[in-house]
Amino acid sequence: MSTDTATPPAEQPDAAENPPPRPGFTQLFGRYLIEANSVMVTVYSLLLAFLIGAVLLIVSDENVRSTYTYFFARPQDALTSSWILVRDSYLALFEGAILNLNTLERFQAGTAEFGDLLRPISETLLNATPLIFTGLAVGLAFRAGLFNIGAQGQLIFGMLGALAVGFSLNLPAVVHLPLAIVAGALAGAAFGAIPGVLKATTGAHEVISSIMLNNIAFFFLVWAIGTGFFHSETKSELVTKPVDESATLPTLLGWLGAGLRVNLALIVGLAAAVFTWWLLSRSTFGFRIRAVGFNAHASATAGMHVGRTYASTMAFAGGLAGLAGAALSLGVGSSGVTTNTALEYGFDGITVALLGRARPGGIVAAALLFGALKAGALSAQPDVPVDISTLLQAIIVLFIAAPALVKAILHLRTPRGGMVTLEAKGW
Amino acid sequence: MRLELKGLTKKFGSFTADDDIDLVVEPGQIHAVLGENGAGKSTLMNMLYGILKPTSGEILIDGEPVSFSGPGDAIAAGIGMVHQHFKLVGPFSVADNVHLGREHTLAGGVLAAKAARQAVLDVSERYGLRLDPDAICEDLPVGVQQRVEIVKALSGPKTELLILDEPTAVLTPAEIAELLDIMRSLAESGTSILFISHKLKEVQAVADTITVIRRGKVVAELEPTASEAEMAAAMVGRAVTLQVDKTPAEPAEPRLEVKDLTVVNAAGVKALDGLNLNVHSGEIVGLAGVEGNGQTELARCILGLLKPDAGHIAIDGADVHHHDPARRIADGLGYIPEDRGRDGLVTEFSVAENLVLNQYRDEPFAKNGVVDAAAVRKRAVDSIAEFDIRTQSPDEPAASLSGGNQQKVIIAREFSRPRRLLVAAQPTRGVDVGATEFIHNRLVTERDTGTGILLISSELDEIYALADRIAVIYNGRIVGEVAPDTPREVIGRLMVGADLGGDADAETDPRTRPDDDANGGDR
Amino acid sequence: MAVKPYKLALVGLSAVGLAAVAACGEAPSDSGDDNADASFLACMVTDSGGVDDKSFNESSWNGMLAAEEENDDIKVDFKESSSETDYDPNLQSSVDDGCNFIVGVGGLMTENVNAIATANPDVSFATVDGFSEVENVYSIQFDTAQSAFLAGYVAAAQTQTGTVATWGGLQIPPVTIFMDGFARGIAKHNEDKGTDVQLLGWDVEAQEGTFINGFESATDGKSQSDTFIEQGADIIFPVAGPAGIGALTAAAEDDAVTAIWVDTDGYESTDYGSEIITSAEKGLANAVKDSVLAAYDAAQGGDAVTGSYIGTLENGGVSLAPFHDFEDDVSDETKAEIDALTQQIIDGTLVVESPASPTAG
Repeated sequence: MSTDTATPPAEQPDAAENPPPRPGFTQLFGRYLIEANSVMVTVYSLLLAFLIGAVLLIVSDENVRSTYTYFFARPQDALTSSWILVRDSYLALFEGAILNLNTLERFQAGTAEFGDLLRPISETLLNATPLIFTGLAVGLAFRAGLFNIGAQGQLIFGMLGALAVGFSLNLPAVVHLPLAIVAGALAGAAFGAIPGVLKATTGAHEVISSIMLNNIAFFFLVWAIGTGFFHSETKSELVTKPVDESATLPTLLGWLGAGLRVNLALIVGLAAAVFTWWLLSRSTFGFRIRAVGFNAHASATAGMHVGRTYASTMAFAGGLAGLAGAALSLGVGSSGVTTNTALEYGFDGITVALLGRARPGGIVAAALLFGALKAGALSAQPDVPVDISTLLQAIIVLFIAAPALVKAILHLRTPRGGMVTLEAKGW
Repeated sequence: MRLELKGLTKKFGSFTADDDIDLVVEPGQIHAVLGENGAGKSTLMNMLYGILKPTSGEILIDGEPVSFSGPGDAIAAGIGMVHQHFKLVGPFSVADNVHLGREHTLAGGVLAAKAARQAVLDVSERYGLRLDPDAICEDLPVGVQQRVEIVKALSGPKTELLILDEPTAVLTPAEIAELLDIMRSLAESGTSILFISHKLKEVQAVADTITVIRRGKVVAELEPTASEAEMAAAMVGRAVTLQVDKTPAEPAEPRLEVKDLTVVNAAGVKALDGLNLNVHSGEIVGLAGVEGNGQTELARCILGLLKPDAGHIAIDGADVHHHDPARRIADGLGYIPEDRGRDGLVTEFSVAENLVLNQYRDEPFAKNGVVDAAAVRKRAVDSIAEFDIRTQSPDEPAASLSGGNQQKVIIAREFSRPRRLLVAAQPTRGVDVGATEFIHNRLVTERDTGTGILLISSELDEIYALADRIAVIYNGRIVGEVAPDTPREVIGRLMVGADLGGDADAETDPRTRPDDDANGGDR
Repeated sequence: MAVKPYKLALVGLSAVGLAAVAACGEAPSDSGDDNADASFLACMVTDSGGVDDKSFNESSWNGMLAAEEENDDIKVDFKESSSETDYDPNLQSSVDDGCNFIVGVGGLMTENVNAIATANPDVSFATVDGFSEVENVYSIQFDTAQSAFLAGYVAAAQTQTGTVATWGGLQIPPVTIFMDGFARGIAKHNEDKGTDVQLLGWDVEAQEGTFINGFESATDGKSQSDTFIEQGADIIFPVAGPAGIGALTAAAEDDAVTAIWVDTDGYESTDYGSEIITSAEKGLANAVKDSVLAAYDAAQGGDAVTGSYIGTLENGGVSLAPFHDFEDDVSDETKAEIDALTQQIIDGTLVVESPASPTAG
């Protein structure tokens, strides 16, 4: 288009005609807020996601939708009911994830325990725990330029590894529990190393091989649960033996009240995040991971073993995902593991890593957010469709992955250092 | 067309890339814009071609002010551009490439192939640029590909001004001469040319007038009669010695012995075909040749990134076939890769991290698998001072440095650890005059300490300036080893394989080759 | 540009939405349900798959809705579980919501139901497909081996090729019990009538057979059915919920092949009525409905519901569906034999054995 070939110079220079001598803090901060930098893009992605979620809530609610049929006759009906629906829905999510206001009232009235107040938080943390591990598993691989789609399979193997040690050995808890956790990490690491080794030796793309390995892992799980070694002795359903008491992850807040299920795996997860941060930023191994991730050619020229880095990074990532599996199988208590226990935690790890921008701190924050969404949605149903948490996650990640979209919708400015991009160099 | 720039300025935040540039290109004139990398040439050109919007100032065409919101506007206004990196679709024919984006179509969107061919032939004929419109671009030599780019630029609706951005960087000496002829004849036929370059000889040879820019400002308007030293001084801002002072080499024991090296690439073609080459301690061996004749493969084999299909490489007298790159680097092999951005630096890493990229596991930079950030930083501070690396701090990402300073980072890295053999591939490519001078002097100093240096360069000037012995590579073989005072023409002919079949072949490759290839070397 | 007001509206709405969370005033809970003033709240916690899984979750929910329909003083609600990790919080929040009766769907949930029932003796519970000894837990189970036995007998009578087939979703008791009954029905026909009908896909003695590892994929179901058809089977008995549709599409492609459906009367519940000879029905919806009504009655007396229910041919909890389009194809002799066998099972003179039978567990 050459329509504005002859337009006079743009107005922007005039607008900035009388700049103050030095931009004050508030001004700098104000500019930061309307810039498409990575922090603000994340914030706006969350806001936009909740906004779109609100629209979808309204559209999907039959009663509210019906008020729109006579919108022009009595608009206040539609607006009021929409408002109430959105307010109640998000309030319900909040109550399920952070603090239940009814419980608070009952606590103030003396009819509820302090522990009851903590239950939503406990559920949020419980749901976030596996996501911390799988998010780290995906995020660490990102940093080496690898796209680890295989966290789900690694998690499944970690789950089985921890479980096998958890019910088959007879040991005191101080030994049994750590041993079971380590077994989960090792099983995940072994399975995670496969795509890494295949890439290093044959050049097979880790995305393809890890997707396929996910299927292998799932059907292995279905088969394994049915075997005499794993299958429950008391139940006829497709469920494994439960882990021994000595290998069960102790709850963190159990002494405050019943139903506070968050367990020691959360602490392990936070420790894993700190360790991963240290590994990436302080160790020679991390130096190599980052170098290879940014530029494999230059790394090879500098004498680094790119293939070995891929293999060891994938093994490490697999170990982290395996810990997620251990957190699940050692945390379900007396129930045992089914084909359903792993849910989609491995795949959710991809979105967690994206939202956390492959940085350990960001991953923990993203995992907590998604954990809160899941806990909130579980408790808010059936008034709020339980799928709302998945939906919000998907929209958030969509915006994170397409920052230009957020920038365009909100007319944000281009930041100094250019637009934020994701480190998904694996493709 | 008469192009005039009045006070053209481009700011990126607080950084001024171009500051108040005035410049006039008269019709039929070849106007050279001379400047170091990072002087603001590219920004200027991008404003002219509509890719960037000027912060202030005016562009006038034939006295009328214009404003471009994209290359389309520039093309419509009669400006054509030949980029440094060709923008051709390899598998397409010449005619298809020339009309890419403005295809002639018949009713229903059918490509009018015949009309496109004819249009190419017309332009070729009018300007005397021979081209086969049906040839497939990726099969053509680089010089011809560039001709396609020129014809493409000239095929605009009314192209009257051609911008050539560093057009000679990828050409052989013969192709350069040909290009300069083409430019002259284009100018004679009335086309104005804006010639962007940092190569003094070419500018001198072809330009009608020369504008020198430095740090975004016009610092001199020179006549083509100006001497190279004058031009260089204007570019750099101080007197520059273009001649490298060096004493005659004192070659001693062999540091690098390459014997019968053969590499077959993925396409089944021999990239290296029984290559033999020696480098001794205390000498610089210049490897001259047109790019793509096996230089890259040779360098990669010496480092160990590429395993030869046959032949031996010995460093310091020891066969290194089973040594990985890390071992060879640790044993004193220095390596300056030809593609700095791809192989030399992790541009997202800080300057400090890049300075220890091949030593990050060694003491004192790491202990027990933990990087010692203080030691890394200390090395960076030292290197930045010693090698005059211009960076705001050791923690800046390498990407923020200019090309010359990036290259200094690599030089500093390789020269800050014990070394016995140095492979320097295109060490001054895309590096400005000042940094080139610095790098050349360091290479000679390095030679004098006893290091053997293999200098791989496609620029004959550089080979002449530094080499104690010149080996010419063609089609994966050394086709001649000559003294540094050998005339340009002789080497130029060797580089294109013109003297093959005579003494050169027999001299460097006396073996009966087929048997050798069949039995392989140490593989 | 035309988009702008829309964008502004979006931004405005988001601010409103946020303010809502922050302000958190009192919410008028007018959800517009039929029995808004009901005094009895019956809640259901699903197994994984969701309330609209076209399988046992959905059938159970239909029973809940039927109870609500029948009694104006009953209101029903549900909570979905995505995995067994969700059982406990869903059961607990159902208690917290003040549910008077809570139905847990799926045998895996039985232990969780027992635990919460023990902690809340005033609330009534039920477990579907599971058996509980806890006082205030009502067990709902089905001896579907009985209806599947009759289906197997019909299949053996109707096959032209002498080969029939079955396959399951997962090797779990609610599935294998059908396959056991089906196999025994065929064996009964072979024994009584001297036929030699072969069954593919389930070995009742070894308790081994063919499973497609899921209840979702009709594609997997079809390819498994095609495999059996190639091996000569002309009647397919899929025990895999929605994935069983694959057997029906396979049957629709081959004139000589028909199918027998499970759980519901496939003639009514699927689009392939003309392919279905009959169905081995499991009256899940009715049983759940009855349990809700029973719990309501008990609550009127201030008690928690107690006891258990096993669906059999005798009480109509399981049954063989009508033959519909195949009414004329099935001989009167076979129909008479089916009636006789039904009577024997009701009498107890004939016992259809399955390790998965509720009487066994």
